[in-house]
Amino acid sequence: MKNFWTRIIEELSQAWIVTLKDIKVYYLRPGMIMFGFLMPFFMFFSFSVKREMSAGDGMARLLALTIFFTAAAAGPFIIPTERRLGTYDRLLAAPMSLLTLLLGKIAVGAFFAIAVSSIAVIIGILFLDASIAQPILMIAGIFIGSFTFSTMGLIFGSIPTRNPGDVQMPSTLIRWVLLFISGVFVPLSEMSTVARGISYISPLTYSQDLMNHAVLGTGELALWLNLSVLFLSGVIFLLPSIKLHKRGRVLGY
Amino acid sequence: MTHAIEVHDLTKIYPSSGQGLLAVDHINFTVEQGEVFGFLGPNGAGKSTTQRMLTTLLTPTEGQLLILGYDLADNAYPAKRQIGLVPEESNVYTELTAWDNLMFTGRLYRMSKTDRVVRAEELLKDFGLWEKKDVKAEEFSKGMKRRLSIAMAIIHKPALLFLDEPTPGLDVQSARTIQNLIRQLSSEGTTVFMTTHQIEEANQLCDRVAIINHGKIAAIDTPEKLKQTFQQVQSVEISFTVSFDDLEEKLATLPEVSTVLKIGDKWRLYTESPPALLPHLIKFTEKENLDIVSLNTLAPSLEDVFLQITGQQIGSVSEEPSSQKLGMKRKKGK
Repeated sequence: MKNFWTRIIEELSQAWIVTLKDIKVYYLRPGMIMFGFLMPFFMFFSFSVKREMSAGDGMARLLALTIFFTAAAAGPFIIPTERRLGTYDRLLAAPMSLLTLLLGKIAVGAFFAIAVSSIAVIIGILFLDASIAQPILMIAGIFIGSFTFSTMGLIFGSIPTRNPGDVQMPSTLIRWVLLFISGVFVPLSEMSTVARGISYISPLTYSQDLMNHAVLGTGELALWLNLSVLFLSGVIFLLPSIKLHKRGRVLGY
Repeated sequence: MTHAIEVHDLTKIYPSSGQGLLAVDHINFTVEQGEVFGFLGPNGAGKSTTQRMLTTLLTPTEGQLLILGYDLADNAYPAKRQIGLVPEESNVYTELTAWDNLMFTGRLYRMSKTDRVVRAEELLKDFGLWEKKDVKAEEFSKGMKRRLSIAMAIIHKPALLFLDEPTPGLDVQSARTIQNLIRQLSSEGTTVFMTTHQIEEANQLCDRVAIINHGKIAAIDTPEKLKQTFQQVQSVEISFTVSFDDLEEKLATLPEVSTVLKIGDKWRLYTESPPALLPHLIKFTEKENLDIVSLNTLAPSLEDVFLQITGQQIGSVSEEPSSQKLGMKRKKGK
């Protein structure tokens, strides 16, 4: 039992080492800044111009957008880049489990999203004069959403390819589709029954609703449902990533 | 004693349309601990595929792999802790300094901070990179990146080091540093498994070599024993003070000569029996009124053996610089 816990601690520490290395190496790379930092802000401002919305409403949407886009940007950029440069082999050959490596990579995207979301919070408070109904829930929501959507991004990063371009296109396309069906730009309460039904398949719907609870103090769905779906989505998203990595080892990537 | 590497019926078929691409075909071999083992073969023969399977980067289709006694299919973890890998392309993190690259790798292999710092300093000094320890690797030359890549692979003092094409394209100083390192690691008991195109390098460094061709092991032995097996590729190397247009054709017609190869200002005459050829050659020089500058008999080189085994013609690969013009004349009927 002691060996088991020692191994768990060692693996977690290695995941952290991978995360720290990636933060140093990738956070300031143009691809990360473009897809992870600038894009959610551009999208928010382009959809917000001349639209009537309260400061709190705007902040809840900006938070949901940044968490979603930023967290999901890391995996599709970092892993294919590392495969192309051969540095991913160094990690795969190192004495750690595949799950440890993937956890390290998930944390890279999640921490990036947490950092960018913090900027969104500061903008919301200082420039939009927004107030936050439940600050602790907001922090929890940012954390859980960031990890969930970083895990989603990891699925695309796990596709066996050495060319980041092969992954960026489908990952961006799917993120855009999710964005439009998830109650970010059209609130759930204003959606038709069919559209609302479709929106429930997107985890972003629950993240947006969670942010509505946290910032506005009200949401369409139960809080426990939002938290549970986000948590379960994060766990479920890991499975295709593991499977794709194993497929990559068969194909030679 | 446990073998450093044991390979049983190892097979790799890459999934593709149809039946798939057979890259490695039921190969078997062992590598002893402390041995420097060369894995030679032409492009596409299966060298890198085999090495990637041995380092857990690629899943075999069939077969069993034991690294330092651990079956990779059952428990790769303890084996991974004891191996180091230097891929063909130097995979350093160019955004990090040389020091940070080593610290990262040391942490990955769970070295204590004291051990990491002491070992990194030792390696950077040994590899001539100490002065550049705080410089980002993106500013390094190819040779410096290669040296850093190797330092990262051995920071944790692996029992088994995999090197994929360690020296091609490097300056003489970097290549010499790496060759000396391989000898030093071997003398300290580290097993070295190297894939290479540099046949002369394998000849000088390796205790044993395996030659893989079309996914199968074609030969495996010490370099000297392999050379003895291929006495038909002995040669006589001769240079004259002058040359003339049809000299190559005339040399090719001499009895006992199988192939004529022009190497710079010298002619290499391949033969199964140099003693039988020499009298004919002397008579020829007298008849043609040629003055001999140098005359040597040569045992088969490992390159000759490699070419024979892989079915390539002599002259298609050479340890001579590629810019050097090579002429070749094969005797009719041979």
